[in-house]
Amino acid sequence: MAPAFASAKFRMVADPTIRVHVSELACCALEVSSAVALGLLRYETSADEGPRINVLLVSGSVTDLLAPAVQAQWDAVESPRLALAIGACASSGGPYWNSLVVRNGIGDLIQTSGFIAGCPPDPRRIIDGVLALVPSP
Amino acid sequence: MTSRESIGLQEESCTSCLICVRDCPSECIEIERHSEQLTEGRRPKTVHVLDAFRIDYALCMYCGICIDVCPTDALSWSPIADLSVISRDLLVSNREDLARRWKGQSQS
Repeated sequence: MAPAFASAKFRMVADPTIRVHVSELACCALEVSSAVALGLLRYETSADEGPRINVLLVSGSVTDLLAPAVQAQWDAVESPRLALAIGACASSGGPYWNSLVVRNGIGDLIQTSGFIAGCPPDPRRIIDGVLALVPSP
Repeated sequence: MTSRESIGLQEESCTSCLICVRDCPSECIEIERHSEQLTEGRRPKTVHVLDAFRIDYALCMYCGICIDVCPTDALSWSPIADLSVISRDLLVSNREDLARRWKGQSQS
């Protein structure tokens, strides 16, 4: 059985109409937590209105074991939605690109609308990247 | 404090020695080069000429080993952050992109 993800929902502080979901696969997810600590991202509250777009940030290396879990998490994200790859592992496999069980990025798995480089990317770059790659209303 | 957003290349300093290519842990650097005979001077000698220099930022782990090992200091950290892109191919930076980042210029 594929492992399940905790489904914490975040909102962008700069644009609270963007709801952010995170696939916490590896260390890049800590940079997302760091963005919360820096006040660039916050947890969704019951006071928040429905989002205009759902963004799934996939952070970390996707192995054959975890690929169905990423797929399931993506399937559970409501439309309108888009997926972004955060960091080298999610973009291409990163330093593990030559490993037998590591997928070469999530591009082959789900439709990926953007890639944010870094190993890991700075939390500010993640936030800048999301704002740049999500279409404006 | 050094801002480690990307890596820049000073083209004139690069001798295409391939040390960065060999030492890169994630094998994200690619160099194309050719040899040329120089006849001026007391005796002819062979030098390498850089044809192409590519860094795949989808693979780069920002360790800085290439910058540390470069014998001519042709590589350096750059404060230019322009690596949030819509397709994976755009994460491969060519020689011109890297030279631009050395000069501290953003994408026009």
